[in-house]
Formats: sequence, C-alpha cells, structure tokens
Amino acid sequence: MNQGQTDYAALAAATYLPATAKIVEIREMTARERYYRLELPQPLGHRPGQFAMVSVLGVGEAPISISCGPRDDNQLEMVIRNVGRLTRVIHGLKEGDTLGIRGPYGSGFDLDHFYGKDVVFIAGGLGLVPLRSLIIPVMAEPSRFGAVTLVSGCRNPAEELFREDLKQWSQVPGATVIRLVDATENMPWKFDVGLVIDPLPKLPLDPVKTVVAMCGPPVMYKFVLMTLQAKNLGPEQIFVDLERRMKCGVGKCGHCQMNHLYCCQDGPVFQLSRIGALKEALR
Amino acid sequence: MSDFLASLTQVQQWISSLAARYTVFFPTPHGEANYRFTAIGADDDVRFAPYRPTITPPVKLLVPAREELFRFQHKEDGDLLLSPSVDSSFRVIAGVRPCDLKGIFLMDLFFERGVADPYYLARRENTAIIGYACTTPCTDRVFCAAVDSLDHRQGADLFLTPLASGEILVEANTERGIGLLDSTDLPPCEDGPARKIGAIAARPETYGRSFDADVQSLSGIVEQYWDSPLWDKHTERCFSCGTCNLVCPTCYCFDVRDNLALDTVSGSRTRTWDGCMLPGFAQVAGGHNFRPQPAGRQRHRVKRKFEYLPTKYGHGPVCVGCGRCGRQCTVDIDIYDIVHDLIEGGKS
Amino acid sequence: MKPKIAFFDFASCEGCQLAVLNCEDILLDILELVDLVEFREAISEKALRYDVAFVEGSIHRDEDIARLRDIRARSTYLVALGACACNGNVQARSNFVAPAVNYAEVYGEAARNRVQVDPEHWPLWAHTRVRPLDAVVKVDAQLRGCPMVPSEFLHLVKSLLKGTQPDFPAVAVCTECKKNENECVFDRGQTCMGQITWAGCNSVCVNNGYVCDGCRGILPDANLAAHLQLLREHKVAEADIRSRYRLFCGAEPIGRGV
Repeated sequence: MNQGQTDYAALAAATYLPATAKIVEIREMTARERYYRLELPQPLGHRPGQFAMVSVLGVGEAPISISCGPRDDNQLEMVIRNVGRLTRVIHGLKEGDTLGIRGPYGSGFDLDHFYGKDVVFIAGGLGLVPLRSLIIPVMAEPSRFGAVTLVSGCRNPAEELFREDLKQWSQVPGATVIRLVDATENMPWKFDVGLVIDPLPKLPLDPVKTVVAMCGPPVMYKFVLMTLQAKNLGPEQIFVDLERRMKCGVGKCGHCQMNHLYCCQDGPVFQLSRIGALKEALR
Repeated sequence: MSDFLASLTQVQQWISSLAARYTVFFPTPHGEANYRFTAIGADDDVRFAPYRPTITPPVKLLVPAREELFRFQHKEDGDLLLSPSVDSSFRVIAGVRPCDLKGIFLMDLFFERGVADPYYLARRENTAIIGYACTTPCTDRVFCAAVDSLDHRQGADLFLTPLASGEILVEANTERGIGLLDSTDLPPCEDGPARKIGAIAARPETYGRSFDADVQSLSGIVEQYWDSPLWDKHTERCFSCGTCNLVCPTCYCFDVRDNLALDTVSGSRTRTWDGCMLPGFAQVAGGHNFRPQPAGRQRHRVKRKFEYLPTKYGHGPVCVGCGRCGRQCTVDIDIYDIVHDLIEGGKS
Repeated sequence: MKPKIAFFDFASCEGCQLAVLNCEDILLDILELVDLVEFREAISEKALRYDVAFVEGSIHRDEDIARLRDIRARSTYLVALGACACNGNVQARSNFVAPAVNYAEVYGEAARNRVQVDPEHWPLWAHTRVRPLDAVVKVDAQLRGCPMVPSEFLHLVKSLLKGTQPDFPAVAVCTECKKNENECVFDRGQTCMGQITWAGCNSVCVNNGYVCDGCRGILPDANLAAHLQLLREHKVAEADIRSRYRLFCGAEPIGRGV
C-alpha cells in the first residue's frame, strides 16, 4: 500500500463522476429509437466500437454505444432505445437538456486490422448503432480498403436505422450495401427480405484478405459464424461487438463477465480468436 | 520487522485501550451462535475466544453493503455540483483470522489492479489490521488448509500467534503496526520465527476438511467442467438468494443505484453489494439474461473462485476456505462439496 | 402540471394508507409535487381521471370487481398498495373455508342457521373468492408488504415524477437480511420464508428478532419445492406449513397448494 500518496477524492472524481453533456439534437429514428447528438465539455477521444456510461442523475446510469466515428471536436452521437428505466427518462428529455457522460470505455475496433482488407460489416437490429462508428471512417476513405460490404438487417421496414446513411454508403465507390428486413409486415420496402445470414453464402469473400466486423442480438452469432467458417474465414479475421449488463465500465462491478473476460474492459469488441472457445461469449 | 511477547490478558487490554483512541472493530458474539465485527468501546471485554467466522467477513468493512459514490446538486443557476464521497477515516480491524486476511489480500489485488478503485483503496490505506493465528479448526466446515489460506500473513500490520506456553507472539510487520504498540512496553522476542514454527507444528495434522488434490491442480480440474450434471445437482435446492456471495470474503460485485431527494434536484449515487447467484445479475435492459438458470450461475461462481480469477491474478484459489457460504446456506449448498465432487468426478 | 393522485380501498385495514400518512416528515414535500384528489383517510374530493391510483385491499365481491374496473378505466397508472392488494393477505385464508362455516365461527351457530335461511343475509355468501388486484385488472406497480414500505412508496413517487418505472428488484428477503448481517433465523432454531419472499422491506422483521412470514408475496421464480422440503426437514408439521403458506399468500399458488 502506497500510504498517503494518492488523492483518492480526485481519483474518485476521475473514475466515477460524469461530465455534463448537452443534448444539441434529437431525431426520432423509429418508434423505439432516437438519435442524440451531444456536446461535451471536451472531446471524448473515442475509438470506433467504444462505449460510454450515460446517466441521468437521480435515475441511473447505463452503458451506451457511441455511434459516430472518431472525431476531434466535442460532439458525440448516440442512438438510444427506450427499453429500461433510464432510457425511458432519456426519451423524455428535450434538446438543451443535459446527460451525464463517463468514458470512453472498452477496447473498440483497431482500424489497423482493416486497412488494405476487404471489409464486411454485418449488423443485426441495434447492432448497426455501434458498427456505424467503424463504418463511418471506412466509408470516408474507401481507397484505403478493398471491397466494402455492409449487410444490415432488422425486423421490419419501420425499424430500420440510419436510412440516409445506408443510402449514402451504397453510393461510395467499391461499397455494397445490402439492406434486409425479416418481414415487410405490409409496409413499403424496396430492398431484400430475409435474415442477415441469407446473403452471406453468395458473397464472394476472399478467405485471405477479408475482415469481418459484426454486431447483433445473441441469436445472430452462431449461424453467421458457421457461414463465415464455411467460407474459410479464420477467427482472427472476425471481430464481434458484444452486449452485456454493466454497472461500472471499469472492470469492477462483475456484471459483464463472460468466462474469465470482462466485456467492459477486454471488449466489447473481441477478435473471435480470443473468445471463440469461450462458452459464455457467443450465446 | 520486530517480534514481541505478551500475555493474552495484556493483548486483550491493549486492544481495549486502542478503542479509546480509534475506531476498533473486533469479532463480537451476536445472537445465539454467531459473531460480527463490531466497533467496540474501551470498556468492552475483548476476548480472543475461538469463534466461528463472522456472518460477513471483515473485508466488508472496506466495501460496505451500501456506500455513497458521490452527491449531486443541480443549482438554480444551472450549475451542477458533484462531490465524491471518499471515506478516509482511520480504523483498526483486530482479530482477523488468516482466511479473512487472505480475503483482504485478494480484494487488495482486485481493487488495485486495472482501474484502481478509489473508494476501496482510501479505506484500505486508512485501515490497520491486527491478525490472529488459528490453532484449531473453528468449525467443521472450514477447508482453509486445503486452499492455502491457513498460513496467510500478508497484509496484517500486526499478527498475533498464540503459543503453547499460553503467551502471544506479537509480530509487527509495518511502521503503523509498531505505532499501535506505542502504549505498551512488551518485551521483544528474539526467537520469534522459531516460536512460530513451533506453533504451526502444534496444530492438528489434518486441519479442517481437505481436498484429494493439490491446491495448484484445482484450477485445472475445475476448468474441465462445463456441461456437467454436477452443476444441477448442486443447485437443485438453490433459492438464488445470493447468501453465498454476500458472506464471501472475495465477492466484490456491486450494483449502482441513484437516490433522488424529494427536491428532485439533488441526490446521490450509491453502490450496493450484488451477487452473481441473484437471478437478474447478468440480465440486460432489453430483457436477455445471459445466465438465466441457477446451475449456470453456480458454475460461474465456482469457476470464478477456482478458475477465472486464479488465472487472472496468479495467487491460487480465490476461495479462502472459511466455510461461510456452506454454513449460511439454509439448504447446505457448500462450495467445498461442489469442488470435492468435481475432483472425484475427474478421477472416474 | 402536477400529477393527480388518488387513494382507494377495498377489503383491508387501511393501514397502508395510514402508513402513507405516517411519512410525516416528508408528506408535505410530497404534497408539493402531486395533486391529491381522492383520499378517504384525509380528504374528500372527487375527480374524473387520475394519473396515479393507489388501490389498497383485496377483491371479494362482484361489486368490488366493478368498482375496481371503473378505477382502472379512469387511471393512467394503477398501483397495488400493500399485501391485501398484491397477494390477498390474511383474508385470503377464507378462500379455504365455506362462508357459512366462517360465519358460524365469528357470530355463532345461530347466525350460521340464519344466514342459510334469511335472504337478507345472502349477500354475505356472495363473497366467493379473495383475490389480489392483478387477478382482476392490469396493475402497473406493486407496493408490497403488510404494511407497505414508505421508502418504496417514495421511490415509486419519485420514479413517476421522473417519468419512468420504479425498480423493485426480484430478490429474496435473505438477500437484504445478509446485507444487514443478521443472524439467520435457522441458527436460532426457527424457520423462515425469507428465501422465497420478495425483498424490499429491508428484512425488517428479522432485524427486530422475528422471522419472515412472507407478507410481501412469493418471488416469481421461487424454488418452492426446495422450501417445502426445507420446512419438512426442520420438522415443521404439514398443517403448520400449509397455515404458514396461507398466512399472507392464500391467494397465491403456494397458498392454494399449487
């Protein structure tokens, strides 16, 4: 023990006290999801795939994916689904209101794994939200990557997120965007119907130079990974972004543990080679 | 550092005298059959009676059941005041058994490594610990010798060993420990190490319950089990009440909750003990529960103590063999029995 | 605008409403935040619609059902207040006794005869079955316990003011009891319902030397088979076990022997 050396109150402030972020823009995305653009006191300096702990003081705190690419300014984009106690309160806030923010946390994606490679994004439902933080920097500099394919699926046309972005990305040279819904449910839809796994067998994936980044509900992983395996993609070529319950974000509270790993610190983005053998990771 | 000799009476009076100067916690009888670490007064009778492990271990004085992380207040001018609530008050925990000392040693690792936890570390730094060696198994549940915690000494400022002569060997391991002895004039003991060896040799040869496996091999044995009927067998009667977590000297998982004052503009954020055996522990806001079944939670608990954290920290089992979880479970689910079964199962 | 809140009662002792009034130190602060429009214990004022209706008591008769449905239809958010409203409470024990037998027990044998022949007394027969509120209408939140717990009431009020749901974790009384470092009642040679009972009371009974009798109702995923076996192992007689399960939870599956 390092007696008398540390200012623990300052350490506590740096670890657990949130900064105040102002909500500068809210957009309705679907019946359950809203887009939030926040203004922070200083840039968060996040990597793609990282998350932040977002709170409303007096209500609670929860991990929320960062949805924008890395940026130098003090803006931050998030998409928040109205799904629990806290997010319900957040959905009641207006532009000009404030949120608490701690972070960024987690490993995130390392763009060095993607430069010069054919990149495949597989996004199921809300999975597009964190993946977008990687898609944006990739689509911004297509010349630094090979062929880029985005497979994005959701339950029905009304639940599709980031439609404008999807449209824009489909026009990026060398990029293919496959948009799917599980069912049209009688809504207008001019793209494909099916699961995100459906177009995968037909994709021409080079087993040597392809890198995959995927995020979706737990049920998605097993079958998608089987398909990728059948295409001879190795576990070091696949990156998954996982969701777990988290209360601290700093590897202490224990909720996000999957086998010996802490999702908040070791993840939430994992190279498949690191977690493929873990029983608790992909179920 | 330095060794001293004292009589039991001298030691007991000295601890009482410390209570006149500091907040001193000591195992105190509670109810009909239990002990609790309780703040004692200078007039209280301090007795190093052989006691059952306290209901909750002394490390929980360093991570209380409910602790405030910070307070907040929205001012009328729009400013937000945030103030961290770090507790740096000095305290002494006396009568800490080797198993609980090892628990504190392990918790020190968990809270120091990675992102350091200011709340734990502030309390720990300002806590003096007086350990007390065990000479006979305190209950028939213990298996401290089997998990290498019976002779744990690290982390105590002072460590007391009862000798066959009836005297107490007082080892001072830190300057702070020596400082706590400043009101006494105990004679130094020149042959402390030899006397300690003698005290250890005088213990029963079989100390508590033992495993039919080396302590080093436990992690590898537990690692072999995933889909096993043994997890179901040892959760069939489980109530998922989390008692085993809450009384464990090495369980530290916590929940975080906010409290809003009735003025609706001020309040606090607190953390409270949580436990991986509780049903909603791994459930996310959308409803998906990553460990919906008690058997899966039991597996996680056992693997965490015997496989995951030992691998991560490299200090052997993160179970100190105190026997609290088994004794306090109303349906007798005992982590010793589970590990014992895993060892036996591996042989067949 | 301040939310309009109202209190109603059915078969109960009205003790939970008294428990609200007993929050003296903070009651005035609460009244700053809400508009109390109906509260028989304190005021009489009627409104057509309620933002939050707190309903105490269990449901027995057809007219209770009609009245509860009416309250539900006029309320945005309906809270079951206390053990009677949440799990039937002690009066649900009468579900296991014929009404005439009950009547005789209370008013004597002559009364039993009269109730069986005098049409004036027949309505007393009509109370067929004691039910918690959620057996009749949708309940948005439950403030459990006999009586309800002021801190939970406050948490609910604050949550609603913030526009969200309260959070009452589905954990057992044992969980809170251990946090309070109580000696387990089994160590005192007694038995307890804490393992299967909804927490939230801060294990108040055990803290004060008693045992948990399950007034807060049974947890949704409670291991009932293990609890039954446990009581049997501790030599609790079958009749006593049944009586224990029916003490507060006669209207729940555990009390009905399901």
